[in-house]
Amino acid sequence: MLTAGAAVHGSGVTLVETTLPIATHVAATGTSPALVALLVVLGAVEVGLLAWALVDLYRRPSAQINGGSKIPWLILCLLLQIIGPIVYLAAGRERVKPAHDPLAGGGPAGSAAGRAVAGGATVAGVAAAGAVPPPLAVQRADAATVADALFAARGAEPDGAAASGPAVELRDVRKTFGDAVALDGLTLSVPPGSIYGFLGPNGAGKTTTLRILAGLAHADAGAVRILGRDVAGGGADARAVIGFLPDVPAFYKWMTAPEYLRFAGSLFGLSGRELDDRVTAMLELAGLAGVRTRVGGFSRGMKQRLGVAQALIHGPRLLLLDEPTSALDPIGRRDVLDMIASMRGRTTVFFSTHILSDVERVCDTVAVIARGRVVAQSGIDELRSRRGGLNRLSIEVDDPRRLWEGLAGAPWLRTVEAGESGELLVTCDDVGAAQRELPALVGRLGLALRRFGVDELDLEDVFVDLVGEDRR
Amino acid sequence: MSGLVPFLRKEFSETVRTWRLWVVPGFLLFSALSSPLVTYLMPTLLDQLGTAQQGLSITVADPTALQAYLEYLGNLGQLTLFALVIAYGGIVSGEVRGGTAALTLAKPLSRAAFVTGKWLSQALVVAAGAAFGTLICIALTQLLFEDGPAGRTVLAVGLWIAYALMLLAVMVLLSVELKAPAAASGAGIGVYAALVVLAQFEATSGATPAGLPAAGLAIVRGEPAQWALPLVTTVAVAAACLVAAVLRFERREI
Repeated sequence: MLTAGAAVHGSGVTLVETTLPIATHVAATGTSPALVALLVVLGAVEVGLLAWALVDLYRRPSAQINGGSKIPWLILCLLLQIIGPIVYLAAGRERVKPAHDPLAGGGPAGSAAGRAVAGGATVAGVAAAGAVPPPLAVQRADAATVADALFAARGAEPDGAAASGPAVELRDVRKTFGDAVALDGLTLSVPPGSIYGFLGPNGAGKTTTLRILAGLAHADAGAVRILGRDVAGGGADARAVIGFLPDVPAFYKWMTAPEYLRFAGSLFGLSGRELDDRVTAMLELAGLAGVRTRVGGFSRGMKQRLGVAQALIHGPRLLLLDEPTSALDPIGRRDVLDMIASMRGRTTVFFSTHILSDVERVCDTVAVIARGRVVAQSGIDELRSRRGGLNRLSIEVDDPRRLWEGLAGAPWLRTVEAGESGELLVTCDDVGAAQRELPALVGRLGLALRRFGVDELDLEDVFVDLVGEDRR
Repeated sequence: MSGLVPFLRKEFSETVRTWRLWVVPGFLLFSALSSPLVTYLMPTLLDQLGTAQQGLSITVADPTALQAYLEYLGNLGQLTLFALVIAYGGIVSGEVRGGTAALTLAKPLSRAAFVTGKWLSQALVVAAGAAFGTLICIALTQLLFEDGPAGRTVLAVGLWIAYALMLLAVMVLLSVELKAPAAASGAGIGVYAALVVLAQFEATSGATPAGLPAAGLAIVRGEPAQWALPLVTTVAVAAACLVAAVLRFERREI
């Protein structure tokens, strides 16, 4: 339709309104062909742009839409014709170039030699900024050396209260979401300088606890202290001494890794040469030196390593990591665990996970949480031994059924189950008594003993036992 | 407000390097270029239509610089404000939903600095865009027409900036309250529509922010305009929205 009649503000135009189909209008009046051609072209451009924009908007995932939501762009396209689609097509679509991961091998940025040289220069720079002697020889892969320089360069020393008291202290912390109880009187204490595994099944309250510690959520009741500082009431001074990595770290997609680290460091008050050196050192530590692609193109592993790096940029006195390895492949997981292990003795690491092998690999102290409560808290070895001598005996005889029946009523017996190759797996509370009495029982029953041994329970057995006990 | 300066730097970089630069400043530039041109070409276009159209009577006055400026202000008051409301629906909630706020706010950046920084950075972008657009519009108008009320236009654009910054503060508050950017934009359109309705009544037009756009147009025309009280209430509403946004955001879980 061709419509005339729109008035210009204050233009003094007097216009008899007419609305005619363009073809009729042209045939009846012989309107200038040039004008008609212009209108037809404009109409075609408008319809074409609108169609292109709407189809693209429909097909494109929300994650690839700038602003993250399709609806505002849809409104813009529909209401501001021509301009709206142009703005959407020019600025609404996110174009992300996939990044090459140097640690995945291949490119020069990932070569060990190149990283070693660059790493040496960087660590020396960080150490110099902190007025400590630079290390003599540095390998890129030597995360501990980078960590040494990073924490040696840290300006502020621990205050007396923080040095003597626990790094993290939660007392009777309660948190609910509607009717759901996330934390139910959670109490725990993290020794300073430890790598503390915070272990629990999905939904146990791990992430909620970490979000409260990071100042992102508030406890309904109870006391939360970090290095002697109260987290309640904003806790900006508490946040100044922590580094935090959420389970799924989200970065500004338009930034590069150095830009994000620079931004993170500046929020901690770092600037100038010190910031430059730390950014370079952290890029080396994370294996991201030389990567100039925007973060939006990073793989999950690269994001996770960048996440650890941004949490370490200021040399935190407490590192809060929420399931840092949960979605990584074995190599990415090893990289992140190496970075965490390199922090031992330099800072306190509070590390939530449900991956037991990660805890066994890097943690020295562990708390097991279930249904918002701590069900066990101690060193890993102590936890294993405290569960019972929660040990398991493996015994193989010629008639396991008779032995199973004969075990009934034994005071030290906890459980009996059949093994994969016909042996009996006997879990017991008093392993000494079981070791003495079980062979005697086999003799009394007239059975032939083929194999007998003691298996130490691993953390998974302890975890299942603890969590299962809480659920019963 | 700890961390405000680095956060502002980040916001400016983000504006320059992402879609944000295209929307409100883009509309401002489009209005600045198109208003004088459309005003200048309109008689020619209408003449083309009118001479060929039997029974159509068109009387067209010669276009003037005043018409170009009024067209420009009209575009600012409708098209650009509409784009502002749509674009800033997710100004706070976008970061919270996307997860970037969690990493940022776990550092010693106060919630007040986060909210204020969001508003301040975009306020500067809008104000600078309007100033730049107005310069372009004045230069183009001077080129196409004889002298016009450029000084009065600058004053009117100043009032428009105040009005736009108040709407921006409203959007910040809505974006803190409503988790979905689309919902905040929808509510923002509702606020904008309510202001347009309030502007139709003399009592509310003379004493509330709703009267500011009309006051700007009156100033450009050289007519008496009641702008002092609407300006004061505009600033007050903007400040109240920002304070409310900060207080609400400080209690919000990320």
